[in-house]
Amino acid sequence: MISVSTLLCDHAAGGNRLRYDVDTGDTDPVSTAPQRRPVVVWNTTNGCNLRCAHCYAGSGGPERPSGDELTTEEGKRLLSELADYGVPVVLFSGGEPLVRDDLAELVAHAADEGLRPVLSTNGTLLTVERARELKRAGLAYAGVSVDGLPERNDEFRGVDGAFDAAIDGIESCLDVGLKTGLRYTVTGRNVDDLEGVIELLREVGVDRFCFYHLAYSGRGADLEGVDLTDDQRRRVVRTLCDRTVEAHRSGDDIETLLVGNYADAGFLVEYARERFGEVAARRVYDRLERNGGDPAGERVAAVDSRGNVHPTQFWRTYSLGNVRDRSFGDIWEDESNPLLAALRNRSERLRGRCAECRYQEVCRGGSRLRALSAGNGLFGPDPQCYLDAEERRGAPPTTADAD
Amino acid sequence: MVERPERSRTEGGERAPTGREWEVFVRDAGDDPIRHAGSVRARGAETAHELASRLFAWYATDIWVCPAEEMSRFSTHGAEGASADVPREEPRTTEGF
Repeated sequence: MISVSTLLCDHAAGGNRLRYDVDTGDTDPVSTAPQRRPVVVWNTTNGCNLRCAHCYAGSGGPERPSGDELTTEEGKRLLSELADYGVPVVLFSGGEPLVRDDLAELVAHAADEGLRPVLSTNGTLLTVERARELKRAGLAYAGVSVDGLPERNDEFRGVDGAFDAAIDGIESCLDVGLKTGLRYTVTGRNVDDLEGVIELLREVGVDRFCFYHLAYSGRGADLEGVDLTDDQRRRVVRTLCDRTVEAHRSGDDIETLLVGNYADAGFLVEYARERFGEVAARRVYDRLERNGGDPAGERVAAVDSRGNVHPTQFWRTYSLGNVRDRSFGDIWEDESNPLLAALRNRSERLRGRCAECRYQEVCRGGSRLRALSAGNGLFGPDPQCYLDAEERRGAPPTTADAD
Repeated sequence: MVERPERSRTEGGERAPTGREWEVFVRDAGDDPIRHAGSVRARGAETAHELASRLFAWYATDIWVCPAEEMSRFSTHGAEGASADVPREEPRTTEGF
């Protein structure tokens, strides 16, 4: 996750000194301490009341019996293990996590264990009562997915009325004082609605906007053909940067975040150089370098509804182990797994355009999953990289130069 | 006589929320032991091997795949009373004979 508002506007929100790579509702622009343990996305269920075209979990289709999902007791044990291991944040996701009746009980257990519980939801089941129940249980943040204006969103989500229900859900959260933000996955299908959705949600009272690049996973793997072109992606990111800077200049401190494509890191340095000069570009680079680039297998982990541990929430076709067999910490620490070890030491293995890229340290080759999906190999280039040859060439900026 | 740790059988059945889960075993070189290296999600053995090859081709000479639901797993993890005082590695059973 890359915070445009933090990097370009020195925006500070929240107090948790943590850098993260999923939308946890928290931002710390100044932390220099390394994140020692991953943020964990727990896909509590694969059940869902919608059937979104881009769902990375492939949820909402014909279901296996939910009886094989982690039970309430297994879930609590997992949460206790995560807390013991030092995980700072657990993101309850799905499927749609609100289809689980025990969600508030699990959130409360996470909070009691000292984890920061946050939620990723389609928002359509968030009544005022459930929002209040979750807030009381200790939920710190809810990210609600909306992927277009009403017609496009409902088409994307496969259910009429999903847009209105999601907006009602956002309003329910805001009504009970639960911090809430937008999640928007940008594709060629919904890019034209993006600014309209931002405007509409600003009127509702949302001030946090999190934009996801398409993950080639689950049903998203079938959408490669509607992914943004390089030019579209560049225009979208530039527009978001422009909007964020202008909003802050007019006293409107919105948060804007980009998730899932670390070519954005290089672009932001280039943007800062063009707009604010070399010293600003070096400062932005320095912060991004501390953040560490693509987090797969390091700063983010996922546990699916049946206990499989994945290197990221999007990497569903590979699992490192299962929490029914071993503790999460044991699985995550086991670098005898050659893939896990390679992900953590990938710089020396990256090839193609990534091998000589000046932004390798702030990107780390981007998504390994997309590189695999595109047939580029485990250490080949991420097909969503939109930096041109001129931008990739040369030495990276350094702090020493800036001072 | 060495006291053996208590194990319980872990949850069986299909482990993938969608598709089918395949346990993956890889061998680095001919004289190395084969080792468990996680699992992949695929429709059949050939697809599972293909997917595992994409992940481990740079590393492995041999790749075996096995349907996850065919494995019988016995573990101290989650067993009643399992805690830090249970040895992580089982003592050599030969010591007890």
